[in-house]
Amino acid sequence: MSTTFVTHEHRKLGFGNYVTCLNGILWREALRFLHQRERFVSALVRPLVWLFIFAAGFRQVLGISIIPPYETYILYEVYIAPGLIAMIQLFNGMQSSLSMVYDREMGNMRTLLVSPLPRWFLLVCKLLAGTVVSLLQVYAFLLIAWFWDIAPPLIGYLTVLPALVLSGLMLGSLGMLISSRIKQLENFAGVMNFVIFPMFFASSALYPLWRVQEGSPMLYYLCLFNPFTHVVELIRFALYDKVNWVSLAVVAGCTAVFTIGAIIAYDPGRGLARRAPAGGET
Amino acid sequence: MQAAMMMNRSKMLCRVWLCGAAIWLATAAPASAFLAYVSNEKSNTVSVIDTDSWTVTATIKVGQRPRGIELTRDGKSVLVAVGDDDTIQIIDVASQKVVDSLPSGPDPELFTQDATGKILYVANENDNTVTVIDLEKRVRMGDVQVGVEPEGMAISPDGKILINTSETTNMAHFIDTATREIVANVLVDARPRFAEFKRDGSELWVSSEIGGTVSVIDPAKRVVTDKIEFNIPGLRREAIQPVGIGMTRDAKTAFIALGPANRIAIVDAATHKVIKYLLVGQRVWHMAFTPDEKYLLVTNGVSNDVSVIDVTAQKVIKTIQVGELPWGVAMARP
Amino acid sequence: MTTIDTSRPEQIARDAPEPTSVPAVTLALSVAGISHCYGRRRALSDVSFGVAPASFTALVGLNGAGKSTLIALITRLFGIQAGRISVFGHDISDTPGDALRLLGVVFQPRTLDLDLSVMQNLLYHAALQGIARREARLRGDEVIARIGLADRVNSRVRDLSGGQMRRLEIARALLHRPRLLLLDEATVGLDVQARADILAHVRTLVAERGIGVLWATHLFDEIAESDDLVVLHGGHVLAQGSVTQILGETGAPNFDTAFRSMTEAADRRGRPS
Repeated sequence: MSTTFVTHEHRKLGFGNYVTCLNGILWREALRFLHQRERFVSALVRPLVWLFIFAAGFRQVLGISIIPPYETYILYEVYIAPGLIAMIQLFNGMQSSLSMVYDREMGNMRTLLVSPLPRWFLLVCKLLAGTVVSLLQVYAFLLIAWFWDIAPPLIGYLTVLPALVLSGLMLGSLGMLISSRIKQLENFAGVMNFVIFPMFFASSALYPLWRVQEGSPMLYYLCLFNPFTHVVELIRFALYDKVNWVSLAVVAGCTAVFTIGAIIAYDPGRGLARRAPAGGET
Repeated sequence: MQAAMMMNRSKMLCRVWLCGAAIWLATAAPASAFLAYVSNEKSNTVSVIDTDSWTVTATIKVGQRPRGIELTRDGKSVLVAVGDDDTIQIIDVASQKVVDSLPSGPDPELFTQDATGKILYVANENDNTVTVIDLEKRVRMGDVQVGVEPEGMAISPDGKILINTSETTNMAHFIDTATREIVANVLVDARPRFAEFKRDGSELWVSSEIGGTVSVIDPAKRVVTDKIEFNIPGLRREAIQPVGIGMTRDAKTAFIALGPANRIAIVDAATHKVIKYLLVGQRVWHMAFTPDEKYLLVTNGVSNDVSVIDVTAQKVIKTIQVGELPWGVAMARP
Repeated sequence: MTTIDTSRPEQIARDAPEPTSVPAVTLALSVAGISHCYGRRRALSDVSFGVAPASFTALVGLNGAGKSTLIALITRLFGIQAGRISVFGHDISDTPGDALRLLGVVFQPRTLDLDLSVMQNLLYHAALQGIARREARLRGDEVIARIGLADRVNSRVRDLSGGQMRRLEIARALLHRPRLLLLDEATVGLDVQARADILAHVRTLVAERGIGVLWATHLFDEIAESDDLVVLHGGHVLAQGSVTQILGETGAPNFDTAFRSMTEAADRRGRPS
């Protein structure tokens, strides 16, 4: 038997390898995004339907009070724009989680997890990649909204970026945490019912909190403690070149907790180990 | 190649992120520095707004029911008609105090000065007259009998014709400034509130509060040549009540306050077409440009504030709380 | 355990004994006392075996024998509950990075991005291994040429045949130059010709490049005389050794019969706990 061995460079993995890996994961996510035009279109259509149809019917809801960060009276569509941006990121985060489940079923997740790089790093890369995709969706939405006269100050388009990165990470890590608990693709409907809808509706996305408080004090507290409210407010303020420090703290804190939770859930010694592999074959 | 592009893109993304974060956390403000004088009809004060910081820097106590307000041509004083005191008070810009008053007729509401700033024409709402006052000597020169409830006042750029609108007679009266005689009456829609000439004198615009229109009048032929109508989705027609009119010096753009519609209509002054509507506070009434025409300030009577419009961007950038029932606004250099 | 410097493969080559005997030096893969439960259900019971470098080991078992669980444990998809697994002496739990770098895997389900091109799939995998883009491209060109897809570099994977996809997956698994290759039912869903091609390709890798291969299958016709076997049934290792050894022990004329008698005996004994 001829034994010509392939030489194997056995250096420790360095910073360069980590960067290569991150770039590779971002690049692949971007490529997939380009190939999934329907996903892009539906990610845009959802908020635009809200904007064009729902907001048109509720135009008179606001315009009687000035609330920060706004410095003048605003139309309802201007008010809900940050909520819709957050909705784009919420759906994207949950859809990334769906794709994790899908990946796990189809095995793509396995190719990711057999990388020699630390698992926490791979998951953070995956989160970043999902966030970048959500950024593309959000900016496309902002562009269309601009034609609809929802025009925050130009500087706001830049200052909202760090807020979007943070909120994208938070919602992505939440999705990742949830995905570790979902076994099958079909359970996404459950995620819709028990995560997306309650989070979205019990928040400041559609109505300012002072309005909610007038209606129901209990719902007000529910909204106040809903991290999604703080995602919306963080984006709302950042879009107008302002910082809502409370929301920033809440979102940053939730991002840390969810990310650590997701890393633990995907740790081979914990989360997945207790379950049979998908497909039922052992 | 793709790899390199990807690298660059991620680097760029990183830079943009940092840049955005830096700007987000360190905010700056613009500068222009004029003073806006806002008459508060109910609180009997004039609020002074600094257009640099967009804050109220002083509140001047004036007579009862201040409404019409204007800067004198020399820029040294602000005149404010205090209707229930039947006089026009003079506020000194330097000291920001009421220093004197002018003899008007009963219940003065709006007034206008001639080009030289020497003569003041005052519409006295309760008296059906226009009072002519010598501004230098501060004496009454005479009266002109006009229609019922005179309000809007405008003077033609050549100074020869004075326009007065009367709310109940629904007319724009053309008054010869030399003879102080009415030379023509043009019928407009119900309750004309305000009159404004184009800078070149080619058109006279008169707003009709109840009629919901702005009539465009040819000052030479003295006939209505066009009518601007307003239509805001979701609003009843009765809610649209045009009052104040502001026109840029280049006569390209006009801003029309639509009262309880809480909107300012931006109109192409050449084609008379509405370009867009801006949401402002409740019952928007009168307005004034900053001298550089960068900003337009409008008074919102019911919501007790003043909205600031960026003229070139055609956007409302801020709304500032003032006294009760803000009515008119005049702009001065400090 | 004796450890040797794996960065010097010639040492293994020199010291490696005949593949049919249990090597004294570091194994390519060492599975020792592995047990695994899903809740109450026991999927693997005290599984131990080794794969020598430059050998072809077939992990034989029916569906449900525990092959996929074992693969999931070796690839660190699941955490190990009991026992140890190491790749060239690197413990998969303690130093997963070092172990995984020496390991190439072809999973049973297709794990290619169907919408991405052949090259893009390889570049993504290379990135996951931390291989810089320029190097990845060179290696990509090389492996694509070797599997005969040079003219399809920019084709979408979706447009490839099943056999081509499998070959691409094997090429991908070898991109980071691992020294142990794990294939889980790599020929499932392929036609006879494609199956034979894949198997021949993998055997060539063992012979020419000295890669240790663990070939999990339930298809006995894929087993050759010279292969090492690990027979897994109901989570237990029933037998291991060369094909000749096993036939000798059972006295069966062929592996098919040997397997049947072994498993029936095991089933009769019931499930020992």
